[in-house]
Amino acid sequence: MLNTPAIEISDLWFAYDGVRVLDQVSLHLDAGDFLAVLGPNGGGKSTLLRLMLGLVKPGGGEIRVLGLPPGQTGGRIGFLPQFTQVSANFPITVLGAVLLGLVRPGITWFRTRAERRREREAALMALSRVGLAEHAGRRLSDLSGGQRQRVFIARAIVSGPELLLLDEPTASVDGRSRQELMALLAELNRDMTIVMVSHDMSTVDGCVKSIACVNRTLHHHADSRLTPLIFAQATGADSIAGCPVELLAHGAVPHRVVLDHDNPDCCGGRHARAAKADAAEGSGAGTDKGGRAS
Amino acid sequence: MMEALAYDFFRNALYAGLLASLICGVIGSLVVVNRIVFLAGGVAHASYGGVGLAFFLGLPVLPVTAGFSTLAALSMAWVTLTSRERADTVIGVLWAAGMALGIILLDLTPGYNSDLMSYLFGSILAVPDSDLWLMAGLSAAVLVLVALFSRGLLVMSFDVEFARSRGVPVRFLHFLLMGLTALCVVMVIRVVGLILVMALLTIPPFMAERRTRSLPGMMLLAGCLSAVFCVAGLYLSYALDLTCGATIIAVACVGFVISLAVPQRRQPIAPAQPLGQPGAQSGAPKEGSASA
Repeated sequence: MLNTPAIEISDLWFAYDGVRVLDQVSLHLDAGDFLAVLGPNGGGKSTLLRLMLGLVKPGGGEIRVLGLPPGQTGGRIGFLPQFTQVSANFPITVLGAVLLGLVRPGITWFRTRAERRREREAALMALSRVGLAEHAGRRLSDLSGGQRQRVFIARAIVSGPELLLLDEPTASVDGRSRQELMALLAELNRDMTIVMVSHDMSTVDGCVKSIACVNRTLHHHADSRLTPLIFAQATGADSIAGCPVELLAHGAVPHRVVLDHDNPDCCGGRHARAAKADAAEGSGAGTDKGGRAS
Repeated sequence: MMEALAYDFFRNALYAGLLASLICGVIGSLVVVNRIVFLAGGVAHASYGGVGLAFFLGLPVLPVTAGFSTLAALSMAWVTLTSRERADTVIGVLWAAGMALGIILLDLTPGYNSDLMSYLFGSILAVPDSDLWLMAGLSAAVLVLVALFSRGLLVMSFDVEFARSRGVPVRFLHFLLMGLTALCVVMVIRVVGLILVMALLTIPPFMAERRTRSLPGMMLLAGCLSAVFCVAGLYLSYALDLTCGATIIAVACVGFVISLAVPQRRQPIAPAQPLGQPGAQSGAPKEGSASA
């Protein structure tokens, strides 16, 4: 597994109605990486994910996922769609939802009792990995938003994938659930490569290993530190879109990994002082972050 | 009611009602969870064109209507997949066009068209044995197809995007579901008429959806509710001398209101429910959501 790159893209382009939403995209992602795909809305992030899944065909260029053309990897890819529009009343149990991750295309004429038991065991195993084994028999609609998102992650990993593709996994869950989700993803990253599309830069956390900024073109940063350049690319700004701290800080206290920030020219030196004060306090604001690898 | 059962036509009415209930439970559940109630309505009304065509050509009504409705349903499925933006508008057009075609064809048919109303409001008391057999055959075909594609239909109904990513043929299943809906509509037209088809397709599944824990369970409960409505409606229409189709729907609507008034079973958020807890009222198998 380690010999084949998880994703290999060269000179890829894709157009909707003649307009190239992705152009000259190249990417080499090693197995075991945890890539955050950032970028403005409409920048082509989700399209890139759909290309990796084989749901749409590229206009040109080469794309290989786990060494194969996309769409031929079957259960070796786990997928979490954008927060799904699943009806609140859909009659399904948590276990039933996870079992759907084992559905294969084509007609299933008959499944033996042993097959059913194996599938059930795999689903329970996936549920215990996301910490929801004891909820297996409950109706999915009785769970909270964050719990439901973890059920969908269990559905994505139930087939034992080598690559996990996540589309906005932390959208529409509250802050606490977001931290738990990121901690879970960091833990899953030990066994599988992860590609996570997000427009939410606060998800770029200790557990993310590299960053790709997608805005028609793709820039791959092998480092997960956020730089002003990444911000400029990810927000689609032509020039530097302002100070990273401004974008990352929720409230008064900056609490993410950012560059050294003692540039007195930035924001009138306000953040330089704030960062120093924060450092003096110790990393109090940072340690409650479950998802930090540090 | 017992003395009524002595009549052949009443026994046939009962069988027709039960067959329609069975099929409405299965297809209605799929229609409701896939949110294609409007599409089903379009198919139901466009199928009137099939009725008109059958009279115009002097052919048996049920097979011709079945063919016509299936064609209408498949073209609507095609419209929803290709021009998503204005799909609902186009379906509205097909809806009206089908009905207009039916009425014009009936106008052009020489003779006295007494049957027109019976297809609008149902003629359950006039179901001949031959139609009953045809309904049974259609039911069997629908059930077999649903069973064969049960897992695909379930994963598509639950989460289309995920189904696509796993290579499930979502387009084909969408066409299949629309075709099955057309067959179901044709059967139910006999019983309650095409004006009232929507009620049997939507009310029982709606009531069942929140009270079951799997899609097969929902189908089962919806089918049972439908059967209760049909039998009760038939009895009331016999006892009070009312129109059958309308009485069945009236009973279903009363059931609908009662179901809204009865608070739905809510599970406590904590402590978590143990895995071995018996299913909901439907008695659906616990891991049965994917069972064929």
